[in-house]
Amino acid sequence: MKTELSEKLYYLKCSIFHPFDGFYEIRFRGRGSALLAILLLMIFGILRCVEYQYTGFIMNTNELETMNSLSIFSTTVLVLVLFAVSNWTVTTLLNGSGNLPAIITVLGYSLVPYMVGVIIKIFASNFIILEEAMILNVIVSLGLVWSIFMLVAGLLTIHEYTFGKNAAAIFLTFIAAIIIVFIGMLFFTLIEQMISFIVSVAQEMIRRM
Amino acid sequence: MNKKIRRIIGITFVFILLALPVRALASDGSSYVYDGYTYDFWANVKESPAAFQLERTISQENLDGAKLGSVDDVCTSKDGRIFLVDATESRVFALDSNGKLLANLKLIRNADNKIALDENGNQIMLTSPEGVFVHEKNRELYIADTGAARILVLDLDNYSLKRMIKQPDNLTGAAQFKPSKLAVDLADRIYVIVQSSYEGIIELTADGSFSGYYGVNTPRVSLIDYFWKSLASDEQKEQMSKTYAPAFNNITLDGEGFIMAVTYDSSAADMVFRLNSKGGNVLREEGNTPVTGELWSIHSDDNGSRFVDIAVTDYGTYALIDRSHGRIFLYNFDGELLNVFGTLGNLKGEFKDPSGIAWLGDKLVVSDKTLKCAYIMAPTKFGQAVLDGNRCYYNGRWDDALVHFEKAINLNVNYDVAYSGIGKNYLMKSEYKKAMEYFKLGQNRNFYSKAYNGYRSEMLEKYFPVIMIIFVLLIGWMIFTEVRYHKKGGKKN
Repeated sequence: MKTELSEKLYYLKCSIFHPFDGFYEIRFRGRGSALLAILLLMIFGILRCVEYQYTGFIMNTNELETMNSLSIFSTTVLVLVLFAVSNWTVTTLLNGSGNLPAIITVLGYSLVPYMVGVIIKIFASNFIILEEAMILNVIVSLGLVWSIFMLVAGLLTIHEYTFGKNAAAIFLTFIAAIIIVFIGMLFFTLIEQMISFIVSVAQEMIRRM
Repeated sequence: MNKKIRRIIGITFVFILLALPVRALASDGSSYVYDGYTYDFWANVKESPAAFQLERTISQENLDGAKLGSVDDVCTSKDGRIFLVDATESRVFALDSNGKLLANLKLIRNADNKIALDENGNQIMLTSPEGVFVHEKNRELYIADTGAARILVLDLDNYSLKRMIKQPDNLTGAAQFKPSKLAVDLADRIYVIVQSSYEGIIELTADGSFSGYYGVNTPRVSLIDYFWKSLASDEQKEQMSKTYAPAFNNITLDGEGFIMAVTYDSSAADMVFRLNSKGGNVLREEGNTPVTGELWSIHSDDNGSRFVDIAVTDYGTYALIDRSHGRIFLYNFDGELLNVFGTLGNLKGEFKDPSGIAWLGDKLVVSDKTLKCAYIMAPTKFGQAVLDGNRCYYNGRWDDALVHFEKAINLNVNYDVAYSGIGKNYLMKSEYKKAMEYFKLGQNRNFYSKAYNGYRSEMLEKYFPVIMIIFVLLIGWMIFTEVRYHKKGGKKN
């Protein structure tokens, strides 16, 4: 068990520093773990809450009195899950060979550089002056760029796409995400109307009897 | 038992009385209580006591039978005189600070008290003047005689005509010379505002010849307009409505000799201007919110403030009057919002169509065109503390400023500017820890950073030996591991 976990972590490290090779091993030799990726997603959600609250005063312009950690956590995680699901729907249509666990694995693993940047920012922002804030912003953006690179490289590898097709798939992913959100909203409003209809019918019946 | 019930009822009544709103409106309107507020860092409205309350109303009753048609502008002199301009009846009234009429100007007389004549032999009579300015340095009173397209310069003490400035021969540009508002700077240059002129402020030399247009206002260009204009052909462009530079609407001089101006045009990029000698805007906006008066927010259908006049104290605190909401905005010289108060309405103390504002010492004089009156407003306890705090801070008396700001905080705990002000005083005394605490309360990140910089250097100095020892140990450990690694023959593990 312990060796298995250390192997997973070793391949996590691998995929950070050599995304193409790392994700190849993960996808085709079963060395990744969707469970670990989900754990990383959760940690990322918590990290966003911590960032909102504990970034140092100079870099923190959030209104702390109105902070809602549940909404920060759920929006962060939901957006990422939405991305994974819509990428899966698109790539299934476009002959991508990756399945949902593989996509989640890539997504979770590729969050790590950004998370590292954010952790550095949260800690160091408590000890800086305004002029040094730029350095931390650069660190965070470096992490973000690295994360995006990992994500693109990872998706390219697991779906066995060319670069152009991968870019098109990612573009379609965003459109699919918008459609999913639209259908979701439609569904919820319809359900809401249905429930209110049932409730009013029930009320009517109670009053008449 | 009976006694107990009675006591309970009594206590309940006391609580009901306490809970009743204590907005006493006296029958004479003299104690009209404004609702004040400020904005916090996130543009939320924070209730605050109003900085000013109504002290006295000047209306037709004060004018010894003269008719008052409207009040279009108001100006004050250092010795406490108030000048009201009535464009409808073409008069300028001079009153003392208690509202007693001193002079009623329509026909202008010259130094030997005879009616002055112009070069055609006509009597010089005011024709719908719109603006007036007191030039303390030369003891002169400038009247913008809009209807007659001239500027009259009177003596400030006996109101006799000194000289008359007509349209300069060398005036260029599309603007008609119809002076509406004016200001005179310390070098006697005259700055004239012509309403709805997009060319800027007309600058005249002391002898009345044209020296140029001054200060250009930039319009706000929307991205969509820009996109369509970039696609359009030349013929199409000609048909499109032209974007003109927004006009300035009012002008005044601040304590350091800078020209301050406001614009009423909603398409202007800036609303308030402090113009340097090149005509660039050097207004300080160091506060938590921009100097735009009302802040735009998603929750309101508000379309922003429309400033008609500005008044500046000699310590840089300025008041802006907003016509669309009938509110007065107070800012200090750093551009921090001090207080907002006033409302539109029909009660005494409320505004219908405010037209001008001026400082009378620490008091404010605000004129209203439609209500045909001017209000003299005196600072409340809170307002006095705020004004005194800012005056002391501006003049570098940190300790006094601290006392006044603390007084302001006792009356309003949500007052960011006062926390910030106290923090600045502690920063000047190098009490960094305390300063940081206050800057945090005042949401002032810029100054917090300065205080923290001082605090951090203090800490580094204090713990320098400890830090040095840790550093040396770290270097030593690195060298040690390196040596051990090479002894093993450079192999891993």
